[in-house]
Amino acid sequence: MRLSRLRGENNEGLLAGLIILLVLMMGVVEPGFLGPATLTNVVRSLLVDLTFALGMLVVIISGGIDVSFTAIAIFSGYGVIVLMNDLGADGTVWPFALAALAGAVLGGLNAAMVAGLRLPTLIVTLGTQGIVRGALIAFVGSQYLSNLPTGLESLARSDLFAVTTGGGTARMTLLALPVAVLCVLVALLLRSTMLGRSIYAIGGDVESARRVGIRVGRVQTFVYLFAGALAGFGGLMHVTLSRQANPYDLVGSELDVIAAVVIGGASIFGGRGSVLGTVLGVTLIAVINNSLVLLGVPSAWQRLAVGLLVLLGVGLQALGQGRRKSPPILAEVRS
Amino acid sequence: MRKISTLLVAVASASALAACGSSADLSSDGGNGGGNTAAPADLRFVTVVKLTGVGWFNRMETGVKEFATETGIDATQTGADDAGPEKQVKIIQDLIPQRPTAIAVVPNSPESLEGVLKRARDAGIKVVTHEASDQKNTDADIEAFDNTAYGAHMMDELAKCMGESGKYANFVGHLTAKTHMEWAAGAQARAQEKFKGVTRVADPIESQENTGVAYDRTKELLTRNPDIKGIIGSAATDVAGIGRAVQEAGLQDKVCVMGTSIPSVSEKYFADGSIDKIFFWDPAVAGKAMLKIARLLAEGKQVEEGTNLGLPGYESLKRFPGNATTFHGNAWIDVDKSNAAEYKF
Repeated sequence: MRLSRLRGENNEGLLAGLIILLVLMMGVVEPGFLGPATLTNVVRSLLVDLTFALGMLVVIISGGIDVSFTAIAIFSGYGVIVLMNDLGADGTVWPFALAALAGAVLGGLNAAMVAGLRLPTLIVTLGTQGIVRGALIAFVGSQYLSNLPTGLESLARSDLFAVTTGGGTARMTLLALPVAVLCVLVALLLRSTMLGRSIYAIGGDVESARRVGIRVGRVQTFVYLFAGALAGFGGLMHVTLSRQANPYDLVGSELDVIAAVVIGGASIFGGRGSVLGTVLGVTLIAVINNSLVLLGVPSAWQRLAVGLLVLLGVGLQALGQGRRKSPPILAEVRS
Repeated sequence: MRKISTLLVAVASASALAACGSSADLSSDGGNGGGNTAAPADLRFVTVVKLTGVGWFNRMETGVKEFATETGIDATQTGADDAGPEKQVKIIQDLIPQRPTAIAVVPNSPESLEGVLKRARDAGIKVVTHEASDQKNTDADIEAFDNTAYGAHMMDELAKCMGESGKYANFVGHLTAKTHMEWAAGAQARAQEKFKGVTRVADPIESQENTGVAYDRTKELLTRNPDIKGIIGSAATDVAGIGRAVQEAGLQDKVCVMGTSIPSVSEKYFADGSIDKIFFWDPAVAGKAMLKIARLLAEGKQVEEGTNLGLPGYESLKRFPGNATTFHGNAWIDVDKSNAAEYKF
C-alpha cells in the first residue's frame, strides 16, 4: 500500500526513480557527468520544452491535442525580433509579453475552430500549423537573423548563479526563474480554481461536464488561448537562448513535447495529468537526450528511445484504465 | 455545317495564339535579332543552393543578382528550406522540364544528386557544381581553392593559437559533404606532419548544418574532454553554435575556436574570443564564378587550366589532378576581430 502511494497518482514516483537511476548510471559510466555543468546544461535544454509542455498539458487534460504550438512559437518569437529590428526598439520584458500575446492571438484560431465549430483538435491544429508556418515564411521573413536586439542578448547571458569548476563555469540561466514561476501558476490553476477543475471535467467526459453546467466552449477557448500564449512565450525564449532567430526552427519537434507530457502521466484520453508529472517527463527526456549524446550514441537512437518511452507511457495508462473504468473526475467526485 | 464553323474557329484561334507567341518571342529578344543561341536574353541560369535563408547563401544570391544585372542573363537562385539531400533532388527534378540553359548547384550530398544531374545533362542542360570536387555528372566543378591546402591553412592557424599542442575536434556539416571532409582531412594531415603535439579527439563530428546541433555537440565535447584546446567548424553556422557553448562554459581563453564562417554570423563572438578566427571565400564571387563558367559552356567554350574568369581569386584556374572537370581558384580570406568590419555579409 505504501509502495503504491510512493508511485504517485500519475506514476510520478516511478518517473523520479527512473531519472535518478539514469543519472546514477551515467555517473558510473562517465564520471564527468555528475557535476554542476550537467545540471545547468539539462535545465537550459529543457526550459523551452517545459514551457511548451505546460500548454500541452492543459490541452491534453481538456481531452484535446495540439500540434500547432511549434509553429505558433517560432512565429511569435521570430516575429517579435523582426518587429524589434524594424522599429529599432529594445527591451527585455515587453518583448516576452508581446510574444505571449501574439501566441494567444494565433491560439485563438484553434479556439475558434475547436470551441466554436466543435471540430476534432488534431485536424484543426494540423491546419493551423500549416497556416501559421506558411504565413511566417511568406509574410514575416525567411532570413536567418544572427544578431538579436542587445536587451535580449544580455538576457541570454544573464545567470541566476554560476559555479566555477576546474573544467569551466556552469551557469544557471536567469530564464529558469520565469519558467519555474509558470510551473507554480499552472499547478495552482489546475488544482485550485474552478476553471482548472472544469478543464479536468471536460477531459473526463464532455457530455457530463456540459450537463453539470460547465460552459464547455468557454473553457476550451481559454485552453487554446492559454496554450498559444505559452507557445509564444516559449518561442521567444528559444530565440533568446539560442541567440539567433531562425524561422525554420522548432517545427518538427512536436513529438518530444507531447511525449514528455504523456510520459509524465497525463492521459491521452483527457481528464488526467499533473504539472509535477510533466516536469518529470520533460526532465526524463532531456536527461536521456543529454546522456545518449554524451555516450556518443547517434541521434536516431534518441528518437527511438523517446518513441519507446511514449509507447511505454501510453501502455501503462491503458493498463491503469482497465483497472478503473470510470473517468478520474468521477472517481474524485465519489470519494 | 456547324462542324465546319467550329473547325474554322478552332483554326483561327490557334493561329492567333501562335501569332501572339511569336511576337512575344521577338520582343523578349530585346532587338538582339540574331539566331545566336548564346544571346544573353535567350539564356536562363538557375542556381540551386543547399538551403535558403542563411547568410552564406543570401550573400551568394547577391552575386547571382549582380551577374544577372551585369550580363542581362535571366539568372535566379533557389533552394530548400533545410539542408536535406532529398529536397534538393526534388527541386532539380522540377527544374528539368523547364529546360533552363544551365543549372549551378551547391550539393548537400554530391552522391545523392548524381542521378538527377545525369538526367539534367541528358536533357541538354549544362551543369556546374561548387563544393563537390568529385561530382561525376557535371560539366564543370569550381572550387574556391584546393581543399587540402585550405584545411592545412586552417590547421596552421589553429596550431598557432593552441601553442602547437593539445587536443582538437573538427565539425563538418554532413559526413557526406565531400568538401568539409576534405578540409578536415587536410587539417589532420597537416597536424600529423607538422604539429606532432596536436591530436584530434574523434572522427569529424556532424553538425547537420544546424547551429543548435553544433552547440549540443560542443557541450558534449567539453564535458567528455575537459582538456580540449581547439575546435574547427566547417558549415558557416557551426562556429556560432561552438562559440556559444564555449562562451557559456567560460572557456573562451582556453579553447581556440576557428572555422569556415561569415562575419555576420560570428562577429558577436569575436569580442571576447569565443571565436578566434574565421576563414571563408566570398560566396557572392563563387556564385558569379559558377555562372561565368555556365556562360562559357553555353557559348560552346571550354574551361581549362589557366582560364581567367575575371573575378578576384579566380584569375587563373587550376585543374585538380586526376579529375578533368574539377577546377579551383585561390580565393580564401582570413578574418578575425581586427578586420571583420570590412566584410558586410
